[in-house]
Amino acid sequence: MRRYLPGLLLVSPALAIIVFLFLVPLAGAVTGAFQDADGGFSFGNFIKTYQLYSNDILFTIVIVALSALLTAALSVAIAGYLTLGTSPAAVAILRWLYRWPLFIPFIVVGQILRTFLAKNGLMNNIFVATGLITPLHTVGFLDWRGIVIAFVWKQTPFVTLLLAGAMASIDRGTVEAARNLGASRLRILLEIVLPQAAPTLMVALTLSIVTMMSVLSVPLMIASQSPTVITVDMAFRINAYGDYGVANALGLISLVLTGAVAWIYLRQTMRENAR
Amino acid sequence: MNRLFFGAALAAVLGATPAWATELTVITAGDQNMVDYINNYLAPIFEKQNPGDTVKAVGTGPGDAGSQKIIERLEAQKQANKDKWDVDVAVVHEKAAGDLVKDDLLKKYRADIKTGSMVTRSNADMALGTDVKGYVMPMFNSQTAIAYNPALVPNPPKTYADLAKWVEKNPKQFGYNGIKGGMSGVAFVVGWVYANAGDAKTLEQGPYKPDEKADWSKALGELKTFNQNVTFTPGNAGTLDMLARGEIAMGPVWVDMFYSWQASGQLPPDLKLILPSPGMPGQPMHYVIPAKAEHPKLAEKFIALATSPDVQANGIVKKFNWYPGIDADHVKPKLDEATWNKLFTDISPKELADYGKPFPIKPYFDGILEAYEKQVAN
Repeated sequence: MRRYLPGLLLVSPALAIIVFLFLVPLAGAVTGAFQDADGGFSFGNFIKTYQLYSNDILFTIVIVALSALLTAALSVAIAGYLTLGTSPAAVAILRWLYRWPLFIPFIVVGQILRTFLAKNGLMNNIFVATGLITPLHTVGFLDWRGIVIAFVWKQTPFVTLLLAGAMASIDRGTVEAARNLGASRLRILLEIVLPQAAPTLMVALTLSIVTMMSVLSVPLMIASQSPTVITVDMAFRINAYGDYGVANALGLISLVLTGAVAWIYLRQTMRENAR
Repeated sequence: MNRLFFGAALAAVLGATPAWATELTVITAGDQNMVDYINNYLAPIFEKQNPGDTVKAVGTGPGDAGSQKIIERLEAQKQANKDKWDVDVAVVHEKAAGDLVKDDLLKKYRADIKTGSMVTRSNADMALGTDVKGYVMPMFNSQTAIAYNPALVPNPPKTYADLAKWVEKNPKQFGYNGIKGGMSGVAFVVGWVYANAGDAKTLEQGPYKPDEKADWSKALGELKTFNQNVTFTPGNAGTLDMLARGEIAMGPVWVDMFYSWQASGQLPPDLKLILPSPGMPGQPMHYVIPAKAEHPKLAEKFIALATSPDVQANGIVKKFNWYPGIDADHVKPKLDEATWNKLFTDISPKELADYGKPFPIKPYFDGILEAYEKQVAN
């Protein structure tokens, strides 16, 4: 026992912070989800959640899944070019450019895209001015597409950053060998580089999904009408009705969703480690 | 050594503040313009009249969310059995005023101040079905209406029924922000229920009958069909933005925001307002004093100033285009004809009296919003 004491003492501040600032409120939210207005146990909050927000829950899953897929595709393309690109100037410029959105907060992304993507917004005005489309054919993107664009725009640099690092650290010999045998760059990326960097890609995507599930500002700025994402409903539940029960139920559902993603990821890594 | 020095300096600075100086804490729900109004307009006048005292305004955010934060803050201090609460004056929405009175969080002060007798509108006595008489002083009254572009809509629909027909013929030309993006959309939905679900009087005044809900399904079903042909906008300001960019030709807005945006050039000057029959809701914002405010006397003084005819005329009406909180007869003599008329350019006082409605009483209000979520949104 005495042997462990200094260690336990060292850990205790961190542990206390986790228990009091994270675990206790989390337990409160979970129990709150199963309580009715009088404090008794009930599934009422979940029934109401289903009646009012079943569409929004589905919508959230679709939006986040689609955003994650697009983010993955774009970051594989960018990280792949950074690793395998042959023009040093192009690689240097790309390396400098792609990180910018990392430093822009979500709320600002929402704010920028709100005027950029509007029907008569900056993007369409540019298209019209350059003669690509006529004013009659402009379409606004301030709906689910706007949310996806914002998420992908913001998360791609993050995933790319991790992925490019992983790709840079793989054994260059495998790449050179494939190149000597005449493989095209695309084939090297997809068959040699990507499989070796795949675990990192999965980690980055898992983190991205959790981040996207928790963003309130972007959907609020771009598309808060129906259908919308879970975070907006949680905020509305509390702000309009002061109803923490259903908000907790919604929170628990989004926790289960992110938990499922984390579980799939963990199972994957454990299987790989076992091999 | 250094730390000692700074400590001494800090003590000297703190000690130098005169003991009689009081800082009045005003906490306000609503958009940034509310904080600006108090800090930039009211505070300087108050501080001039009460030398040494200062006013500190804090905003808690727009919509009922902002008011909800104020309720929670006072509730927490009550639960903690504090003798003095850290808020002297709060500005809240109608819905919150009722809750605050029900939870015994407010001081009854209206009879104690001079301007108390100048309030005549019934919404200062009843807030969405709760008796708040004596506890609140209306800061202003605001109203929703439909803004339209006369170039695109020369003959705007004058009733909700005509609007529904117009939208069918002109798909995506009408825009509103649903119910989760701000109160102008909520007001439009409430107006729709008033117009299409029969007994609007019960909704507005009670008494609450839980079985009333059944009657909304038809009105909300029609609203769902109506929604197929509208453009959804991102928020109160989002509707105005889209009107300004010509993306929609019509949409519900707050009258004060509309005039303020027009005055600052964010909206084209030729846009107009119409208040369709049978009416759209508006609401006051109320000054309240927490039951255990630290400086109740000074708070009363502050509210008396804020609701005086002079401030109501030059601040509320002239600067912010709100309708006054106290009776208009006290305010009108303080303003020139042109300023007064500007407030009633598009919506006449008679239309305002006939079609300016209150929001429904709270159980119906929550019921309508929830029914909308269930039937129209999901």
